[in-house]
Amino acid sequence: MEQDWLLRVRNLSVRFNSRKGTVHAVDDVSFDIAAGETLALVGETGCGKSVTARSILRLVPEPPGQYWSGQIELKNSDGSVVDILAASMDKVLEIRGERISMIFQDPGKALNPALPIGRQLAEVFAQHRLEMIFSDAGLNFSTATKLDKKFIMQRLNRVQSSAYALLRKARASALEKAMANAVEQALADTGIPNPQKVMISYPHQLSGGMKQRVMIAQALACDPDLLIADEPTTALDVTIQARILKLIREMQQKRGMAVLYITHDLSLVREFADRVAVMYAGRIVETGESLRVLERPRHPYTEGLLGAIPHRRTPRGELAAIPGSVPQLLNPPAQCHFASRCKWAAEACKQVIPTLLPIENGRLVSCLRFEEATQSGAHEDLMPARAEL
Amino acid sequence: MQVRDYLLRRLALLPLIMLGVSVIVFTLTRFTGSPVGIYANPNMTPEEVEALEARYLLDEPIPLQFYAWISGVLQGDLGWSGVSVAPVTDVIWSKFAATLELALAAGFIAVFMGIALGTVAGVRRNQLPDHGARMFSILGASTPTFWFGLLLLVPFYLWLDWFPLGRSTQEIFTSIPHPTGLYTIDAVLALNPQAFFDALRHLVLPSVVLAFGAMAIIVRMMRSSMVEAMSEEYVDAARAKGLPDKVVIRRHARRNALLPTTTVIGLSFGFLLQGAVAVELIFRWPGLGQWVTSAVLSGDQATIMAYVLVTALIFMTVNLAVDIAYAYLDRRVVLGE
Amino acid sequence: MTDASKVQGMTRVTRSSITGVKLRRRIEVGREVLSNPLTVIGLAIITGFLLMAAFAPLFAEPNQPDPYQSPRDWSNIDVPPGVAGHVLGTDSTGGDVLYGIIWGSRLSLQLSLTVVGFTVIFGTIVGSIAAMRGGKLDNFLMRVVDVFLSIPELIFALAIAAVLGPAFSNIILALAAVFWVKYARIVRGEIIKVKQAEYVASARVVGDSTWNIYRKDVLPNAWTPLVVQATLDMGNVVLIGATLSFIGLAQAGLTEWGALVSSGQSGLLAGEWWVSTFAGLAVVLWALAFNLVGDGLRDVLDPKTEGR
Repeated sequence: MEQDWLLRVRNLSVRFNSRKGTVHAVDDVSFDIAAGETLALVGETGCGKSVTARSILRLVPEPPGQYWSGQIELKNSDGSVVDILAASMDKVLEIRGERISMIFQDPGKALNPALPIGRQLAEVFAQHRLEMIFSDAGLNFSTATKLDKKFIMQRLNRVQSSAYALLRKARASALEKAMANAVEQALADTGIPNPQKVMISYPHQLSGGMKQRVMIAQALACDPDLLIADEPTTALDVTIQARILKLIREMQQKRGMAVLYITHDLSLVREFADRVAVMYAGRIVETGESLRVLERPRHPYTEGLLGAIPHRRTPRGELAAIPGSVPQLLNPPAQCHFASRCKWAAEACKQVIPTLLPIENGRLVSCLRFEEATQSGAHEDLMPARAEL
Repeated sequence: MQVRDYLLRRLALLPLIMLGVSVIVFTLTRFTGSPVGIYANPNMTPEEVEALEARYLLDEPIPLQFYAWISGVLQGDLGWSGVSVAPVTDVIWSKFAATLELALAAGFIAVFMGIALGTVAGVRRNQLPDHGARMFSILGASTPTFWFGLLLLVPFYLWLDWFPLGRSTQEIFTSIPHPTGLYTIDAVLALNPQAFFDALRHLVLPSVVLAFGAMAIIVRMMRSSMVEAMSEEYVDAARAKGLPDKVVIRRHARRNALLPTTTVIGLSFGFLLQGAVAVELIFRWPGLGQWVTSAVLSGDQATIMAYVLVTALIFMTVNLAVDIAYAYLDRRVVLGE
Repeated sequence: MTDASKVQGMTRVTRSSITGVKLRRRIEVGREVLSNPLTVIGLAIITGFLLMAAFAPLFAEPNQPDPYQSPRDWSNIDVPPGVAGHVLGTDSTGGDVLYGIIWGSRLSLQLSLTVVGFTVIFGTIVGSIAAMRGGKLDNFLMRVVDVFLSIPELIFALAIAAVLGPAFSNIILALAAVFWVKYARIVRGEIIKVKQAEYVASARVVGDSTWNIYRKDVLPNAWTPLVVQATLDMGNVVLIGATLSFIGLAQAGLTEWGALVSSGQSGLLAGEWWVSTFAGLAVVLWALAFNLVGDGLRDVLDPKTEGR
């Protein structure tokens, strides 16, 4: 099991410097993702799950953010391992979009409003699949000149592009054609009807669901090993949500891709995730197989989350909320972050930061009192209905 | 189409607004001691002056006077320019061409350097280039153009003698034909490098001074729209695709940040027109600004009024052009107030 | 539909606790404004000028009969700074540069306060009428505003001042006639925005009179951009006014900063830099101070700040 991992996050800590102090957004987070597996990272807004996700691609802006400690290891096909946080920028650019891709919450905001869809997808191919484009165009890549490459990568402005297209007609049109084919194929693969029309459209001309499909097409263009989906359905209509998730599942099965879902929707976890990691206030409090965790949580927070979900048994109007609120992550005290809201909190909980420890097969919990705290039995009939926190 | 309707509406408004401007200008002319002074020149006999008074209905009620005045204007009679000792319409075109050349040069500098500086400031937010750009911006908005001009005049003209005053060296200027009225272009067309460099040497100082104020507001706008663009999600998404920073900034952030900046560019043109007054005065540039300042000092109403009309027309046209450009550039445009 | 009694209760709460909430909010805002060092610098400079203007006679013995004419001293012309008791030197008639700057500050203050005061009030009135009445009147007034805005400020003011004759008071008049349109537009825009907001609708439901709504709901929310613009204009007006007097639209020999710069021009080419430089610096400092404060206010008051 241990050897199967594709991505391994170890002791990741990310801090943000602000005028008021240092925010410990992510604190000593560790988890693995195996090849082809679906892991869900859940938690409330502000718990650090988005920052964790972005750290994997080293997208956290480095002032004011700071990768305080930890490694994020990606395993290559030959077995070698690269630490994304320590790698050179060139290496990171190679990984982004090609080995690890990301789709974002609001496709309306994540697509550049000033560029047509085709152009935005072409960028991915231009960055990572230059050789393929050249060979598809019938050109030998080793003979590719700098100008050829620039034309394809659209580093030329419109005037220069037109000049190139005029002067080297055959070459230019072959390259353009190859690129257009690649883009069309990528769009069609995600089931987008009319890819040619979509290619020349601008983002605002497409519906929300279509935009998300485009995002997915873009992310999967180079067949990544891991797809990070940051709240992929939050901004969509309920009816579209299911379709998008099914699409991701489909693509995943076709390509043997791993998926990391960042979400606060526990029903998504139940239906699509193999394993789940629960985050609270920058730390992971529990991980394990998703069905097991949902059936029988072993951390008071997880239990509280599940108890807070409205379901058939809950009388109308009574939402079992967890008393208190998420603590400030600004220079936090060295104790269990959940202690102030936990009804099982003991003195020890306020003095030590509990570490994530294995308690059963594949189950990790960070709580000093997990045994007493979660005795209340199985929650089979309390499985989350289609609702969120 | 929504866009076209909006633009057509704006276009239709133009003559209406010009009419309003004419009313204002006309009102101003009636404030002067003798309205006929606009048309009369010192060489006229009293009979000719009387004839003028009759022609322009100066004894009739105001609305008729306005009618006479404006029909005169539309037929090309803008009065007699005392400072140029010629009818206004004879002189105005060459003055305009000179100011146009200056404004274009300054505009060029302001736009390109302003965008560049603003981009860097926005990308490196709250770091040194940003602070520098903001200092520059606020100084540019606080410095009177006439003073800045004098400030540069002393070292570069007086001490170093790098740049001369005026627009051209007489002999070189007259040695080439002037089809466009823009010295630099004429020199290029005439394939005369000596003239070209002569033109450039005279152009440098005044256009830099003029550009300063306009550049300040462009830098400021570009910076803030860059900051906004950089914080948009599509920038992160572009990075997540593996695109290098330079490409992300240029193709994704800046392209979107340029949009609001185009409206500021239109606005800064107004700055250029206003700044030209002082700049032309100080650097002895024979354009509209210098023309009107002499007119002010000698009470030449015709010149001043013609100047207001022409400037307003230019300003409105430029603003309309900018709006058209904006509508064309913004794919998502939803116009309307 | 909303229950009228509930709405009434809501409105009542909003209005009765206004004094306490408003005061606290104002202190909050004040503190935030002062936390910006640049704004503080601007305020300090403004205070300096205010003191200079208020106590001018103490700092520089007023010239008789007209203190706004530099005292001529033909035995001390073109004296460089630091010599013979003239800290900033003298001009070509022997007038002390520092004198000119000190008494010029009074003129600048007079100019900016008068123009800004008038234009804010007049512009607000016109803008309010246009926005509250709407319809044809609104249309007409806005076309008038468009016409005014199509002539660049300096040029418009120049024409007016030229027609009226070279005098400082005419500069004030000209600028007032030109600057008011800005405020009319701002106020009208803000009022329209507020008109469409819900709580005004709720006040209507309760049956408040238009004037009351205007006074209590509309105005308090519309004044923010006004204050920012007015502050910035305190600087702009002096900038343009100085340009006008530089060109020659003020009376001869006036201790106005722009006129002083102009009088020092001929000296410049002879190497006597101090007159134009210092007089111009005064303008720069004045405009800079108000720009800094105006920007600081805008950062705090404008909800669209780049807070990230």
